[in-house]
Amino acid sequence: MEILTDLFRKMPGGDGMSDQALLITGAVVMATLMFIVMALCAIIFTWMERKVAGFIQNRYGPMRTGRWHGWAQAVADMLKILGKEDIIPAEAHKWLFMTGPILVLLGSLLAWAAIPWAPGFVAADLDLGLFYIFAVSSLVILGLLMSGWASNNKWALYGAARGAAQMISYEIPLALATIPVVMATGSLNTQDIVIAQQGGIWNWNINPVHNPFLFIAFVMYFIASIAETNRGPFDMPETESELVAGYHTEYTGMRFAFFFLSEYANLFLVSLIASMVFLGGWWAPLPFLDGIVPPAITFIIKGVVMVFLNMWIRWTLPRVRVDQLMHLCWKVMIPVSLISVVGAGFWMILFNQV
Amino acid sequence: MVQYFADMYAAVSSAFIGMGITIKHIWTKPVTLQYPDERQVMPDRFRGFVHNDTTKCDACNICAKVCPVDCIYIETEGKAKDRYMTRYAIDYNKCIWCSLCTENCHTGSITMSHDYDHSVYDRRSLVYEFMDPTEQKIPCHRVTRIEKGFWVEPKEDKPKPAAKPAADKPAAETKPADPAPATEPETPAAEPPAVDDGGSSDDKGETK
Amino acid sequence: MATEEHKVTKGWADQDHVGEVKSELLELNMGPQHPATHGVLRLLLHTDGEIVYKVTPVLGYLHRCAEKIAEGVNYKQWVVYSDRFDYLAPMCCNHAYVTAMEKVGGLEVPERAEHIRVAVAELSRIASHLIALATFGLDMGAWTPLLYCFREREEILNLLERISGGRMLYNYMVPGGVRYDIPKDNWVADVLDFITMLENKKLDDYNNLLSYNKIFVERLADVAVLSKEDAFQYGCTGPVLRGSGVQFDCRRDDPYSVYDRFDFDIPVGLGEMGTVGDCWDRYMVRVREIEQSCRIVRQALETLPDGAYQSIELKKIVKAPAGAAYSRTESSKGELGHYIISDGGQTAFRNKVRSPSFCNLQVMEKIGVGLMVSDLVALVGSLDIVLGEIDR
Repeated sequence: MEILTDLFRKMPGGDGMSDQALLITGAVVMATLMFIVMALCAIIFTWMERKVAGFIQNRYGPMRTGRWHGWAQAVADMLKILGKEDIIPAEAHKWLFMTGPILVLLGSLLAWAAIPWAPGFVAADLDLGLFYIFAVSSLVILGLLMSGWASNNKWALYGAARGAAQMISYEIPLALATIPVVMATGSLNTQDIVIAQQGGIWNWNINPVHNPFLFIAFVMYFIASIAETNRGPFDMPETESELVAGYHTEYTGMRFAFFFLSEYANLFLVSLIASMVFLGGWWAPLPFLDGIVPPAITFIIKGVVMVFLNMWIRWTLPRVRVDQLMHLCWKVMIPVSLISVVGAGFWMILFNQV
Repeated sequence: MVQYFADMYAAVSSAFIGMGITIKHIWTKPVTLQYPDERQVMPDRFRGFVHNDTTKCDACNICAKVCPVDCIYIETEGKAKDRYMTRYAIDYNKCIWCSLCTENCHTGSITMSHDYDHSVYDRRSLVYEFMDPTEQKIPCHRVTRIEKGFWVEPKEDKPKPAAKPAADKPAAETKPADPAPATEPETPAAEPPAVDDGGSSDDKGETK
Repeated sequence: MATEEHKVTKGWADQDHVGEVKSELLELNMGPQHPATHGVLRLLLHTDGEIVYKVTPVLGYLHRCAEKIAEGVNYKQWVVYSDRFDYLAPMCCNHAYVTAMEKVGGLEVPERAEHIRVAVAELSRIASHLIALATFGLDMGAWTPLLYCFREREEILNLLERISGGRMLYNYMVPGGVRYDIPKDNWVADVLDFITMLENKKLDDYNNLLSYNKIFVERLADVAVLSKEDAFQYGCTGPVLRGSGVQFDCRRDDPYSVYDRFDFDIPVGLGEMGTVGDCWDRYMVRVREIEQSCRIVRQALETLPDGAYQSIELKKIVKAPAGAAYSRTESSKGELGHYIISDGGQTAFRNKVRSPSFCNLQVMEKIGVGLMVSDLVALVGSLDIVLGEIDR
């Protein structure tokens, strides 16, 4: 944000602006930028998902829209969705129906404020950065429940109930898994977490030699993030083969696009958090590359690699049943996450890393 | 307790094995054919759209009778030597491409082509009329056909089929006499290639 | 806790409030249009949360009056209708019908025709089991095995297209033989190559990716266990019966055609991953049957005799003497039987079809109770029903 404010001061007429006006302008610009990035990532990742799925399944994926490998497919999909009729079921609860998708999108969008893209380039430099991210992600659950209930559709209600239970449960190992990193860094500020991993791949938080419990924490975080985004083996709330489409069955047009956008924004968000917290953020794997490649590009590349991993897992594994999902969370992942927290602490004391 | 850890290990290892298989497929060549640029070559016996060469057809009605869904419409007028065929149509809304009509045709006029992609916007266009009503009507009786210069199938000099299974009975042969190749040059170029399989079992020489 | 009634005596702010709170089962309709029911099957569920208390299948959405049509078209023409019953394994259906018809009509079939029939019927069976695996995986959320299985099915469909002319619905067998002989373009060698590739490489792929995947196993082990007694009571046949541990197969126990010459095993459910008769057992029986079918195809084609491919007494119009006969064959879904009553003409008086999926579906009312909704989807997938057969 300081970069933006400095930029505004340098612009003609910038000297005369008060600090508050500068802050607000900077915030608005940053928010617009985040929204554009989010929309772009939704478009790019839908295309990437379809291509990855295609090649895994021995076929091509989109090939015709846009001459080269159907790159314009997602753009065409977006345009098509915008042109659809907006249907609200007659018996649906109108206000909840309309607010649900907004909350879902909001929950994904707000968390992007604390992601550090490059040194000094973060929308909101919060001392509570990581905590803020997890807190704000909970809004998605509220939106989900509202959509499922307001649809006046029993199948949608099923999807919403499952989804809410799943997302609430999996927030615990998600947050617990990042605590060892916070202990190692000593701060919740996202910029500090990244700065502490300077020095190439050896210094990244994932390194099992430095602290094996951090590696276990990474695995826990990754699995919990798949469950948190309702993807892959944990997509019970929206299982196509059982519930038709789960909580967003009754949505069409732009409202459906909100759910769609938020799914991919969430996906990119958790991948970025994984890269930021465990994989060294904007630092390149080899120190000499830091000067050559812009740090934001390295960060985004890491995010894309994590997204690819996510997609690979989604197209390989079958779905986990709801009660097994709960069993996995409460009886397997939470104990392991707690052990990793305690173990990381002991390790750090033992090896004087504190 | 042991089961707990064994389950965890089994889950992770089977997931990794599965992921290994899927990642391997990313580098194998996809099996998709990019239709309509690349098309599959159809085998000889492929049952595509039915085509009737009306110059050879003599409205014996076998195809219409043998069709299980009654999709062939034949209209004739007159009797005996003055019998003429006025309409021959196949309704593709009903046709199931079973090729019973081609199998039982004794002149070989009806054949299965290799076409399969004739989508239309209106269901009525799927009724294919094979005869142009303004053109000359087609005579059905053999004598009239010879008089007017229409094609007639050559009458083969075969011994009367015996009641006992005789060794020279052509029904058991794999390659019966096939009139279609002998008359290929007569068909105009606009028609789709009439590929009739040599393995067709029924006796083409018999008339009913 | 099906239905409960409570009396609430204190309301908001401790007012006196006498009321009744009733709870009842949620009536859900897993309607005819649903991605998980394999066809237009309607399931009426009464659930309490996720647990199903009552499941009623409602049928008839695909009824096409094929049995009534059998009274109007002659024997040779009706073969095309038999294709449309189990449209995933149409050669098996053809085979069932022509076997019954030959029994009524007293027709002899030459050896070569029998071998060809067995080979194509087994290929069709492999194709049908591939779809069973693929769609079962899809119902469980594994999207990729679907595409892999369909890739193999494409090969089979291409081979069957070369021999019969049709890709999915063949109309290939006639009472008394088969319609065409094997084509001269190296068909037998291609089939044997395909079988070898399937046995050596692809089945391992499916097993590693899907069958032994822990998540898949956890979804299916101990789910919807069908006991032997229930299977007998409901008249289940095919992989559903064999999954419960009963080694019964029409090809071995009531041999028709030339199956008694071939050597093959009958896989049964052994309860490897859970109980005998659970969904995983039924699924695994199908995977193992693919292997056995490959063996049969190889034996049938390697010992293919020369000779006629159609009965020499076959006339253009096939008539059967007055009488009735029932014959049963092992289709990919189970025991497919035809009871044909003939009145001496060229058209059947009555042709009653005993379809395996119809009898297999009945067990849902017994073992569907107490399952979760997700398990119900697993059950429907493991029964491997085809609505074309059920509704005819």
